[in-house]
Amino acid sequence: MITKETIDNFISKIPPAPHALKETLLHLNVGDLTKAAKAASQDKALNNYLKVLVNKPIYGFRNQVNEVSQIFGILGVNKSQQAVYNYMTTLLSPSKWTLFKLNRVLFYNLQADLSMNWQKILTHLNIEDKETLSAISLLPASIIVSEALFCERKKDIDILRSVHPIDLNTILKRLTGLDLFDLCEQIAGKWEMNEKISQIIQASSGTNPSSDSDIDTLGKWMHLLLFYTLSQPQYIEAELNDFINFQVEYVSDIYEDFSQLMEIS
Amino acid sequence: MRAILKNGVAVFTPQGFLDGSSGNALLSIDDIEGTVQQNADMVLVSLKKVIFFNRNGLDSFVKMFTKVRATNHCTVGFCDLDTKKYNAITKFYKNDLAFSIFQTQEIATLFAASYKNQNKNVLLYNEDKSQRAAMAIELHDNGHNPIVAQTKKEFQEKIAVENAYDIIIQDTYLGQMGQKVATRVTGNAIIYTISSFLDAEIGNTFNIAYHNNSLNVGFRLFIFDAYKVISMNIHALNFFSKLATAGAEYNAAICFVGISFDKTPKEFKETLEDSGIMFFEQMDDILQNKKLLEELGASSAANIKEKRAINKTTITKLPNFIEATVGTIEMMTNSKAMKEAVVINKITIDQKEGKIASSIGFYGDMDGMVILVFPTGIAKKACELLIGEETDDSELILDTLAELVNIVGGKVKTLLGDIHISVDITLPRTYQNIDSLLEIVQDKKGVQVDLAFNDDKFLFFLTR
Repeated sequence: MITKETIDNFISKIPPAPHALKETLLHLNVGDLTKAAKAASQDKALNNYLKVLVNKPIYGFRNQVNEVSQIFGILGVNKSQQAVYNYMTTLLSPSKWTLFKLNRVLFYNLQADLSMNWQKILTHLNIEDKETLSAISLLPASIIVSEALFCERKKDIDILRSVHPIDLNTILKRLTGLDLFDLCEQIAGKWEMNEKISQIIQASSGTNPSSDSDIDTLGKWMHLLLFYTLSQPQYIEAELNDFINFQVEYVSDIYEDFSQLMEIS
Repeated sequence: MRAILKNGVAVFTPQGFLDGSSGNALLSIDDIEGTVQQNADMVLVSLKKVIFFNRNGLDSFVKMFTKVRATNHCTVGFCDLDTKKYNAITKFYKNDLAFSIFQTQEIATLFAASYKNQNKNVLLYNEDKSQRAAMAIELHDNGHNPIVAQTKKEFQEKIAVENAYDIIIQDTYLGQMGQKVATRVTGNAIIYTISSFLDAEIGNTFNIAYHNNSLNVGFRLFIFDAYKVISMNIHALNFFSKLATAGAEYNAAICFVGISFDKTPKEFKETLEDSGIMFFEQMDDILQNKKLLEELGASSAANIKEKRAINKTTITKLPNFIEATVGTIEMMTNSKAMKEAVVINKITIDQKEGKIASSIGFYGDMDGMVILVFPTGIAKKACELLIGEETDDSELILDTLAELVNIVGGKVKTLLGDIHISVDITLPRTYQNIDSLLEIVQDKKGVQVDLAFNDDKFLFFLTR
């Protein structure tokens, strides 16, 4: 069904980060928002994406924000980098979703929901570095990879999962030796993302805990945040609730803290 | 959301956070009813992967449970929970607990009438005396050996003894239990379990469509496990008489096992005998008597006379069946299939050693049976995807093979559905050696397709 060659083929087709993006990220890396905005302006799709993203209600801006310089100015360096990485992830998304009942708007909403709550978590944990903040942008890549690899086998997957409790991540691992999060790591490598981002994403799978306790803690929070988000009706209806297995035991020690932060009752 | 159905227990497994809005998005009444149609005795929602729930979240399921139970008579409830979750649910529904709660799926299975692996030593405790009694009775009725701890202290003392019990039950509550007539397949016979007082309700709780379809796909022996029947009235008598008469057209045999007529008029037994129903004291009187099984139609010898030939309608749809089978095995083994030969004849298996087989029937707009003969190597490889590791445990391989054949059957159903042919599938059957398969099919004519998966020979046989 899916072989190592299928995966190699998929990874080889991922384009490197476009020049304008690389330049934007370079300037953000040294904290130069003006030059970053100028570089970002060269990419019309990025401009458009940023406008759509930051004007979503969850970002809470009272007035419409249109200029990239304005957007970067409001977001600051860290959140601007996160937004650019979010845009890079969307470059992988299909024009038409088959496996999941997603569309462009819903996918952008998912990115926004995850990003804003991740920021809330990092503020709670007193973590300010921009690589950790940006790590969340790679998480939805696991959904895109699932879609890309399994979309033509939707009926088979549905039948298989109607007789046996198995998630997409496990199917992929058993067939190829690699899981969705390994593929996210490969994507991060191709886009020259910071190694810390890959490590957090791996831990957030819930099945590959990190030996670095700080990374592992972030992985737990991200894993729990993913399932908190995927428990919302719009994502359940998009059939995202069980695409990977929720590792309840893995997050048990941070659950109370999480539920207080998110005001769950 | 899809449920996984095994041993008569269908389980939905939502993940994450469960509140009023997510509950309604996770599960619909159609999801549950669709599952019940597949002959589930129990429909449960697993809370194993739910980290948070509130009353509103549970309510959305409970409302559906109530509705489904009223129309379909199956057991409904929750499973896979720890003491904290159990206490929360019993607190939420203190005076209105009509559904069941099972600490684990394994425990739920003990209470499912379709479960065949009986005789477990079961230690149980519930602080409510009537619950302890109800559980003990149900377990005993299902062929287990319940040991009841009367106090928490006694329970703790008993569980401290290592390996004394097969299963320990706590944090479990029996709500209204299912009243469906449970069904299971043993060898070539279909066994229905009936209990208590039989009246006109049997017409609702017995799945007549399933029974008729079983007749259509070639089952000829139907056994009613009636050890737990206390009595029957004239309505039930009429029901069984009609069932026997209808079965006679197919030369089918209907037997009652274990029924006592202490509280039922003796003439009822004569009426049933007149309509062709036979009575036995023990299940083994039938199942362990090979000669009797042959006489009752549960073997090839008796079945040959009634076999229907493979027909043009079925043969023209052969590509769909092959696609379903090849697609599934390729998916499960990550190997490529090569078609080697296609013949219409009786099944021919050159090398019987090192092979296992399975079959699944289909019925509806067309009917028939798909038989798959696997070299053990392919079977083991296909099972690896499902169980995640290599295994030589033959029972586990056969169990997993049944799941695999279920996948093939499901795919056949989907592919035929795409061309507007509606079929349903029966329970899968597995055969641990080729001789047991040949007892059923050696004289049937069908289409045999020999396939090779990476040099392993694989046989597909389509018959009626």
